[in-house]
Amino acid sequence: MKDMNADWIASGGCHDCGGKCPYKVWTKDGKAVRIEPYAEYRPCVRGYAYLKRVYSAERLKTPLKRSGKRGAGRFEPISWDVALDIVADRLLHTRSKYGAASIFCIGSSGAPGRLHNAASVFRLLNMFGGYTGRWGSASAEGAYFAAQATYGTKPTAHTRDDFVSSKLVLLWGWNPAETVQGSDTTYQLVLARENGTRFISIDPRYTNTAALLADEWVPIKPGTDTALVLAMSYVIARQGLHDKAFIDTHTVGFEAFKDYLLGKEDQIAKTPAWAESITGVSAAVIENLAVQYATCKPAALIPGFGPGRTAYGEQFHRATAVLAAITGNIGMHGGSPACCEITAVGVTPGANIQSNTLIPIGTNPLDTDALKGESRALNPRRRSKFRVNTSHLWDAILHGKKKGFPADFKFLYVVCGNPLNQYPNVNKGVTALKQIDFMVVHEQFMTATAKFADIILPVNTHWERNDLMRPWLGGTYFFSTRKVIDSLNDCKSDLQICNELSHRLGLKNYSENSEEEWIERIVRSCADTADAISDYAAFKKGEIHHFKGAEKRVAFEKEIAHPDLGHFATPSGKIEIFSRRLADLNDPEIPPIPKFIDGWEGKQDPLAERYPLQLITIHFKTRAHSCFDNVPWLRELEPHRLWINALDADKRGIKNGDTLRVFNQRGAVQISAYVTHRILPGVVSMGEGAWYSPDDQGLDLNACANVLTRDRPSPGGALATNSCLVEVEKT
Amino acid sequence: MKPDPAEKQLGFFFDQSRCSGCYTCILACRQWHDTAINWRRVDTLEQGAFPQVTVAFLSLSCLHCETPACISACPADALWKRREDGVVLIDAHNCLGKDACGQCLDACPYQAIRFKDEPDAKAEKCDFCQQRMAMDEKPLCVVSCPTRALDAGWLSEIKNIFGGNQNARGFIYDAEVKPAIIFKCKPDKVPLF
Repeated sequence: MKDMNADWIASGGCHDCGGKCPYKVWTKDGKAVRIEPYAEYRPCVRGYAYLKRVYSAERLKTPLKRSGKRGAGRFEPISWDVALDIVADRLLHTRSKYGAASIFCIGSSGAPGRLHNAASVFRLLNMFGGYTGRWGSASAEGAYFAAQATYGTKPTAHTRDDFVSSKLVLLWGWNPAETVQGSDTTYQLVLARENGTRFISIDPRYTNTAALLADEWVPIKPGTDTALVLAMSYVIARQGLHDKAFIDTHTVGFEAFKDYLLGKEDQIAKTPAWAESITGVSAAVIENLAVQYATCKPAALIPGFGPGRTAYGEQFHRATAVLAAITGNIGMHGGSPACCEITAVGVTPGANIQSNTLIPIGTNPLDTDALKGESRALNPRRRSKFRVNTSHLWDAILHGKKKGFPADFKFLYVVCGNPLNQYPNVNKGVTALKQIDFMVVHEQFMTATAKFADIILPVNTHWERNDLMRPWLGGTYFFSTRKVIDSLNDCKSDLQICNELSHRLGLKNYSENSEEEWIERIVRSCADTADAISDYAAFKKGEIHHFKGAEKRVAFEKEIAHPDLGHFATPSGKIEIFSRRLADLNDPEIPPIPKFIDGWEGKQDPLAERYPLQLITIHFKTRAHSCFDNVPWLRELEPHRLWINALDADKRGIKNGDTLRVFNQRGAVQISAYVTHRILPGVVSMGEGAWYSPDDQGLDLNACANVLTRDRPSPGGALATNSCLVEVEKT
Repeated sequence: MKPDPAEKQLGFFFDQSRCSGCYTCILACRQWHDTAINWRRVDTLEQGAFPQVTVAFLSLSCLHCETPACISACPADALWKRREDGVVLIDAHNCLGKDACGQCLDACPYQAIRFKDEPDAKAEKCDFCQQRMAMDEKPLCVVSCPTRALDAGWLSEIKNIFGGNQNARGFIYDAEVKPAIIFKCKPDKVPLF
């Protein structure tokens, strides 16, 4: 705006959102005042609320030292020098007395940029002699596991502009209108619909994406999606609708899978009638779905991460990939490999997503496993030898070596995350955190986790530093976010904090570069960004750059078009319906072909007599996980509510807006009711990320979903938060 | 959007088939104008019983009516319609406030006049981003919409481009006030099986 007597600065990215949307921030007299879209990108409410988050009176202002009982939330301000001295002393003390493995670092993805994030601490601790970390993506471990087993690479999605070529899209637990999943994803889907693409939503909820696009809604019981995929595969195989030529050329193991479908392995044919009794979807609908998907080519089945966050979540992503393979919907415009919905742009196939786009974290001297890469990724027990699965954090702290965890943990280092709030079973987490000897947290706000710290180090926001932003789900661009304002109060970046700690720990060369030098080094050392930069000076000013060859990019196009030239990164070089690597695990819970295994805390669990409702915890459109829950502007837009079907509400005398108590054997929360026809009877849902705020009795008045969720990972290592039974009552 | 001598009315276009109910228009507006209360709203319109349910969204602000009921209702000359573009504006210093008066609130069929939750709150509402319009930029709700469901411009041009449909789900055209908005409706579902 020409009249503002000011200039705009390129920024964007909202913590751990799937969008990483660029936007312009207008400043006046050194203060950010307004936000405007940048180029063709359109941030959502999270972006526009950022002014209120940055300037929130609740921002932490100085380092804090615990002054009350652990978890009571009482702190006194201290200087940076004193705070860093304490943290360094405790690190040295812990290493010498208990060994470096007793330093447990829970680093998460709460920071949006590629320079400033948890890698700062990983680098520091690796130089210091190692630490115990966690494994298991809270978002998508089921999809990662399945994609590596089936295709040999994590990202398997087309670019979003390719939807326009699809005749049919199955939105399978996929809700980008709220979860974003790439800045322009919803818009590209709208354009596809206007071009004639048909949409079917398979989801326990009638989501905003379903409302926007879908002609059919197929509500399904949580945790049973794999059974539906198998029954569709059964119909396709029985009716001869499978693509025999594709299967012969590009896959291995179809016969074993077919035998399983037909019941030759376990005497249970995976018929639509079989699946109806499990999923609640009628056999006729299953048959229709199968025929539609197999005959409307090209069809894109898009599996969301939510159905994979269940008891045997990786089986869902394995099964959808196999369904795409047997119908030959892979390698062509408008199709989809249907496994891990992350666009295969900006990453080298086979490589760990974006691992080469951070500051170098070095190697952990304690992680001496000779097994590396995908072979280890597909071996969950092996992974847990040196690290702790995300669902096991609290058990690991409570029990340590006694229960087979890598160490007895004495020092907890939390960075870029709010694990108490965001990982399952908060009440067990409270018990665990009370037990730890020492805990340091880098934070911007007094979160549930920070309240348990001995030392809190106040971190600046990405508006207060320069960084590199690149989407991780569906964007084909990257850009440099520029410092918009000076650091508020006495905040520092994670990198600054770790640099200052490194001096106190006697480490040399922790950060020899300035912020700008680091960004340039990351950009130039990573092939995709280096290739795409023509003018570094323009990039440095915030110009948006696009990865090369990112237009209408089809995943595995080369592998399918020229099987003689391109091989999948699997041991067989083909799409592995049957995985020898999984067979070698010899674990019936991780079968070599995708199978339906009835999970815990579903409708069949005896526990359902006491807790008859299945709870799913969704990504909420006004939060990026737990970030933004404390921004009143966003709270005003839509309250945090429990979705409950009118039938279930009637049975319990619940009316819209009533205050409810939602509970199970792990805890209880208080939340208001949204009585609706948009959710399957027997299922309730609430957004994850609300800030845990217990009363004296332990009732969480703000309804943090993880008070209720179970801390047991899927066999592949996925968070299984959508396998959760509860009961609901009016208070 | 330079003044068009032949046209005296700006207006909105809303494509209900493109709205995903994301609220971005509400917050983009709010932070741009730095208001204590939202000038826009998005209604979620649920119809039908499980599983035959449909949902549409309706995003609205002040509709800058051709014959605004708020202006006729205001006893204090706080509301006025600008001759050159039809935008309805407020002189807050003339406003008697919600508690003392509140006539405009009752008169507007679209609840477009907003008062913050304070004793002496004055009327406020969408000003069609007049500062942006003066710079030839469209209102922020329009340029912020992730699915491009909104547009704004001279009403006659909007009608030329998008047709003359004046109704949408959750909205009834009030012929007395003549709201300056054109809609594209959400199509009925077409069953696949």
